[in-house]
Amino acid sequence: MQQRRVIDQVETNRVLLNGQLDTPKWWLPTVIGLGIAVIIGFVIIGFMVNRGLGVTGLSRPVYWGLFITTFVFWVGISHAGIMISAILRLTQAEWRRPVTRAAELLTVFSLLTALIFPLIHAGRPWRIAYWILPYDFARGIFPNIRSPLIMDPVAISTYLTGSTLFLYVALLPDLGNLRDRTEGWQKALYTMLALGWRGNPRQWKLQTVGGILLSALMLPIFVSVHSIVSWDFAVTPAVEGWHSTIFAPYFVIGAVHSGVSAVVTMMALMRWLWKWDDFIRPEHFDALARLLIVVATAWLGFTFLELVFALYTLDAPEIALRELQIFSWPWNMMFIVFLMTGYVIPVGMWLFKSVRNNIALMFWTSLFVNIGMWLERFMIIVPGLSRRTPFVYTWDSYRPSMVEWSILVWSICWVTFLMLLFSRFFPLVPLFEQKESQVFVDKIKIGRAEVPAILREQE
Amino acid sequence: MTMATNSAVSGHAAGDQEHASHGQEIAGHVILAPSAVKDKLVGTTEAGATRFRKWAIILTVLAAIGLLGLVLKYLQSSDDQTKWGYTAAVAAFLLTIGGGAPLVAVAPVLAKANWVRPLTRLASAFSLVGVVTMIVMIPLVAILPPLITEGARRRSIWFESPDWTPHIFIFLAMGTLLMAGLGLFYTTALPDFAAMRDHSTGRRQRWGKMLARGWVGTTVQWRTLRMRIGMFGTFYFLMLIYVHFLFTSDFAMGVVPGWRDAIFPMYHAMSSIQGGIAVTIIAAWAGRRYLGLEDYLRLDQFWSLGRLLFASSLLWIYFFFSAFIVFWYGRSMADIAWVDLFIRGPMIWAFIPAMFMSFLVPWWWLIWNRIRTSVNGPAIGAAIVLIGLLLDRIRIYVSSWAVPPDEIHDKYLKHIPGTVWPDVFDYMIIVGSIGASALIVMLAFRLVPIVSIWQTQEYQLLSKPVKYIRGHGVLVAKPD
Repeated sequence: MQQRRVIDQVETNRVLLNGQLDTPKWWLPTVIGLGIAVIIGFVIIGFMVNRGLGVTGLSRPVYWGLFITTFVFWVGISHAGIMISAILRLTQAEWRRPVTRAAELLTVFSLLTALIFPLIHAGRPWRIAYWILPYDFARGIFPNIRSPLIMDPVAISTYLTGSTLFLYVALLPDLGNLRDRTEGWQKALYTMLALGWRGNPRQWKLQTVGGILLSALMLPIFVSVHSIVSWDFAVTPAVEGWHSTIFAPYFVIGAVHSGVSAVVTMMALMRWLWKWDDFIRPEHFDALARLLIVVATAWLGFTFLELVFALYTLDAPEIALRELQIFSWPWNMMFIVFLMTGYVIPVGMWLFKSVRNNIALMFWTSLFVNIGMWLERFMIIVPGLSRRTPFVYTWDSYRPSMVEWSILVWSICWVTFLMLLFSRFFPLVPLFEQKESQVFVDKIKIGRAEVPAILREQE
Repeated sequence: MTMATNSAVSGHAAGDQEHASHGQEIAGHVILAPSAVKDKLVGTTEAGATRFRKWAIILTVLAAIGLLGLVLKYLQSSDDQTKWGYTAAVAAFLLTIGGGAPLVAVAPVLAKANWVRPLTRLASAFSLVGVVTMIVMIPLVAILPPLITEGARRRSIWFESPDWTPHIFIFLAMGTLLMAGLGLFYTTALPDFAAMRDHSTGRRQRWGKMLARGWVGTTVQWRTLRMRIGMFGTFYFLMLIYVHFLFTSDFAMGVVPGWRDAIFPMYHAMSSIQGGIAVTIIAAWAGRRYLGLEDYLRLDQFWSLGRLLFASSLLWIYFFFSAFIVFWYGRSMADIAWVDLFIRGPMIWAFIPAMFMSFLVPWWWLIWNRIRTSVNGPAIGAAIVLIGLLLDRIRIYVSSWAVPPDEIHDKYLKHIPGTVWPDVFDYMIIVGSIGASALIVMLAFRLVPIVSIWQTQEYQLLSKPVKYIRGHGVLVAKPD
């Protein structure tokens, strides 16, 4: 299936650079609105830091709540970039081309946002330094470098550095393009950022090889990041529901499910807002939805295994926890919503081609997935902690406070705000990928039929 | 790039032509005449008759030794579960390679990868190994303890089910997997049986006529064929995961007290894919070498399989480490027992080479593109992986079955059993079952061409060499 039409390079430049060379009318009011929301969010964070974690619902034994859930959620979203950009690049999936930039960008901004949550969750953010940096060897007080809590920031910051580099390398040809089409301070900015890009064969070769190498190098980091996040929980036998060997791949596949769904949401918005109908086409949504069916089904399989082998032990506390998660109010309602929005509704709808090619339905179903995936993380983290455990005489349930909900909303506004700011200065659809796809896509005549074909370079 | 340009480019590229044995090679892309493809591939069912006979006799003898070993072992040790670890390991190994290989014929096809076309028949034929696996499973199922032992229900995925549920379900599941594999193998071979019927004589023609079931290649028949391949492929994949889930939980986790490992079924299934890729590489190497299929099983196939084997070796260590770190770090009594039993305990002699041969060596070997873009490189890597996987299965199943049955109700394993070494019957079963598996696959290729004729011809239609800037490329059609 190909819905593309031939678009020459001038037209491609004109349409895809309209965010930078012209400012759309909706852009400024939206950015101002989001900016105000972001400032309010920072004020709330400041208030919480000033007053302490008492303004949240966190209390023993539930010491990890909405902040850690949201941290895991944003780390999950960050898996979109490498999944789309690196894996699909290595497997030469042609349909990836218009999607890559947005996915990489989502990775960088969601990682930046994720990093904020453990910081603010600490209550006194400056004390985070004590976890990471050695500060008193004399008394034997230094971080346990074997702990996933130390591996976490290392993995995430490596991933952030790599993803930023990945984004930047792929941006170079477009920066050269912008440099040649702007004047004044913008030209100076793009000249500096383009690093002398002229588009000669040597530069193209380096850029291509760099992209492939970074793709291959980023893959292990991509897998390690969410695995390490999962081990924050899984290596703790004291909390029922956490000590499971399946957590690492289960978290990674869940992250891919939620990240790719977030890319679908973003693609729909980009198509509507910038009117890029010729570039972000139903066939791209169709391909992503088919990928998501596979990913989501694998994720459901892992969910099933996790549940079966939790009950397998027949240990009373483990069974009590699962009863709490599935049958007790309000967890039962959350469980149903999580299952329906995370799998049943979206995948059930994606089985139909008409849905996969319908941008509005894809937008809503992909949003559903992320509601479900946020709930999934919440249901993994909180019930295990709120259960009565032996020798612990303080037990309580957990109800997030308005401060916590506000900070969750702030994080969504913050990522959107950053994306819109980026879109003002840099193209969200890679121009060079778009132009390359015009060369690589063709047709072969077989009998009387014309079949879509892809050019593959020979070694 | 227009069609006119493509034609012109093809003409220019003719200057670079090299003549392969019976195909025309343009910059790495071989153009084969349809009649040559049919003659060559139909001919493979009778090629090398003397060598085939010699190997068939050797493998039949090995299979008979294996069967004898199985019967004698049952007569001698049917009341002692701890002596059946190696048989369980062999069953797991056969399930690993025989079950995983057909996925090579399924997954890339669903992803529209054309390189896999010459390999689909080879890969799907390994589903026949399921026959041997089921025979080896018979005594194991008889020896597996019932759900209620010593008046108490043991831990299992069957919870409150009747006593013999796992024994029945594993056979049902493995039988269904075998049927799905056979269905896939037969369905994909239908057009080739018709080719044998129409383009050969004597015995092959009779077989072709009988098995082609009136295939004439109408539009409806082709549409039905593709639909069936998709259905069998998807069903096979789901059944394979299910069988691994049952096998691992009933024949490994269920017999070790306190072992709770949610990732283990997926680890088993993933390494099955790794083993399936490895055995497909070995079979392709043998087909290329002994049946003169250089024009069909080309570097592209070995390169692509080499990449998949490399990726699956990385996944092996990922799944292994995901479990290991949780047990190692958790340090509950059950966790410590797991590490003692499976890693640093009685089977360390199997664990260390398994780690090297399933991950470290293939990883370091296949990381090099020069190795992957050769025929022998991936084959050597595949052979190492297969040995590694056999050792890995021995590590897991011999340790698990060595646990005395009277400890099955304990909360965790309190005494780590000693090393169990194979006896003479175990050697007979290992050699015999591997020999029988090789024999059954070899026999399949006397019935049907080792490389799919119709898939090869379809690729010839769907691909076209073109000039790309100063180099060459292939235009590959991707029909819906």
